[in-house]
Amino acid sequence: MSGGVDSSVAAGLLLEQGHEVVGATLKLWGGASDSGCCSVADVDDARRVAQTLGVDHHIFNYTEEFERHVVAPFVAGHAAGQSPNPCIECNRHIKFDLLFERAARLGFDAVATGHHAQVLSRGGQYFLVRGADDQKDQSYVLGYLGNEQLSVLLLPIGAMRKSDVRREAERLGLRTWDKPDSQDVCFIEASKGREVFLRSRIDVTPASIVDRQSGEELGSTSAAELMTVGQRRGVLPGRDGEKRYVAKVDIAGKRVEVGRLEEILVSEILLDEPSLTFSHDVLADETQVLAQWSAHGRAQLATLHHGREGGRGWRLMLHAPARPVAAGQTVVFYRAGEPEIVEGAAIVVGS
Amino acid sequence: MTNQYYFDHAASAPRRDEVADAMQRWQHGVVGNPSGSHRAAREARRAVEEARDEIAAFVGAKPGGVIFTGGGTESCHLAVAGVASHHRRHHQTTSIVVSRIEHHAVLDAVELMARDYPNVSVHYVDVDSDGVLDLESLAGALDGDTAVVSVMCANNETGVLQPLDGVSALVRERPAGILTHSDAVAAAPWLDLAEATAGVDMVSICAHKIGGPVNSGALILRSDVAIDAVVPGGGQERGRRGGTVDVAAAVGLATAARLTAIERCEVAARVARYQQELFAALGAMAGCAITAPGTARLPGTVHVTFEGLASDELLFLLDQAGVCAAAASSCSSGAAVASHVLAAMGMAPERARGSLRLSMGAETTQEDVDALIVIMASVVERLRAEA
Repeated sequence: MSGGVDSSVAAGLLLEQGHEVVGATLKLWGGASDSGCCSVADVDDARRVAQTLGVDHHIFNYTEEFERHVVAPFVAGHAAGQSPNPCIECNRHIKFDLLFERAARLGFDAVATGHHAQVLSRGGQYFLVRGADDQKDQSYVLGYLGNEQLSVLLLPIGAMRKSDVRREAERLGLRTWDKPDSQDVCFIEASKGREVFLRSRIDVTPASIVDRQSGEELGSTSAAELMTVGQRRGVLPGRDGEKRYVAKVDIAGKRVEVGRLEEILVSEILLDEPSLTFSHDVLADETQVLAQWSAHGRAQLATLHHGREGGRGWRLMLHAPARPVAAGQTVVFYRAGEPEIVEGAAIVVGS
Repeated sequence: MTNQYYFDHAASAPRRDEVADAMQRWQHGVVGNPSGSHRAAREARRAVEEARDEIAAFVGAKPGGVIFTGGGTESCHLAVAGVASHHRRHHQTTSIVVSRIEHHAVLDAVELMARDYPNVSVHYVDVDSDGVLDLESLAGALDGDTAVVSVMCANNETGVLQPLDGVSALVRERPAGILTHSDAVAAAPWLDLAEATAGVDMVSICAHKIGGPVNSGALILRSDVAIDAVVPGGGQERGRRGGTVDVAAAVGLATAARLTAIERCEVAARVARYQQELFAALGAMAGCAITAPGTARLPGTVHVTFEGLASDELLFLLDQAGVCAAAASSCSSGAAVASHVLAAMGMAPERARGSLRLSMGAETTQEDVDALIVIMASVVERLRAEA
């Protein structure tokens, strides 16, 4: 129970379905955040919701693990010019790894969360499916869940629309019913942003922004670590008035290359083989998938090819060219024939 | 319904019936403001002053030195911040000396002073691996700027007793003017404070650790201490703590103190046996280490660590089995966090993660202890089996 409306309602619905429910709030971040130090306000909300529902509530401290598995790699990734997704890492290593293990040790049969996603059981196998509310679907950040985890995962609000979740919260008398959705990375304060956070951990690198065609310097950035290939935000248009997109980030060279959209488009994404998971079936060469590489991006038709660069690893061939995808980001694969079903995930090496 | 075994006296002791009865009179109808001049006020004032006499006797001080406060945290804050505030108005520089294992009531108060006043600094005194104050480190921290030294009587997490006599002796060797404060909140149920804190200028106590109400405590000044009010308000408590004195809270504190003093020897002897039984039983469990073994401590505190286990999980299963216990260290969200006390003792963070504090009091019975041992064995066995 994060203290948000989704997990509040998830707990309430489970209770109404007759389950024996215990609420757990994970304390992940010890520093400042938008909900205050230690996320006290969120913990208070979760505790009060549990009280209202009449269920026990416990706080589990995972601050050290969060620092080790999520925050430190986030910082290291940026320092190395990558763009890791901390929410995916948190789900993977904290919620659906450490918490699942703990739940089993403490004698629970299942773990439930308030994610907008669904679990489908078919032929003795479990599949993750997109949430019913396509605006709120969170299957992307859960893309790494495997069969074993899905078999003990309950997602009580996954079939609901967000507006219905809020209505249920109101019906249940939960004070989180009108609480705004959380937007961003939980350990970064919106008013300060990623740059302030990164500056507190590493020296960031000022760099010039150079047009890759003309070689002309179009501007500068105070932190090359925060520039991501494909991004347009923070990049001024070229002299021709056309928009420019980041094509290449060279932190050591203190240089960010930008280009017009058609110059930067790619049709191939290289994947990190050890990070690749694929549900149930052995991944055959030239498998067609719908690939999505941001939480709210649109899934694109693509084909997985084995044997990049001298026959090793996997690459994703896009059927239509797209803006490049930065190393460290995660691609989630959805089934080409059944676009709601998650097939697997992989971390991007480059594009 | 599962039986409840209450092993968290150090967090809050069960409220005594006699306390509730004594407070009853001051919680209904007309309760005069003790600062007033009419009969209702006089009645209230009399109850407050009787309570003051009892608190003075409890700590071995004069009634005029007793300042009623809203609890242990306020008492500690008033002692260190009040003295530092007065000192810095009369000196170029002010130094506050505290042990690293003080309660946050003290630590946060002195940090605030250092943050707000450039001429105030804080010096931290080390403890040894058993959590006992290092007197050499204290000697090195004292200098001509020292305004106040704060060392707790016994630590609230480990129960380990601190060498207050040594502290007083060291301070007495220095030029006059250094004041001493001792947070006796954890020690109050167990030690004769008149004796244990004899050489200390200021003593903090609170009611709810001895069976009284929460939001009730006192700072007792044993000598003529130059102190500023933190909340001056209407000049109550001789200008040292503003705000209408809560008659019921003062009566509750005094009643709890009186009862504690009467039964202290019997309770301490009985609970000390429970403590030995628990140390023997827990110490025999796989991966269990007694914190500061063999070190003099309060009879009611059993602090142990379980290698490879997490406090969160121990507490969850104990709670399921009806045992109320604590990790003894939590942040404002309520999550168990790494203890500054164990860190100061040099305990590895991995070991500190498996901390458990089982604290007892007058109400603890042999049956509670027997049940706890059985439950602990099954909880630890279960976590070890699953791990």
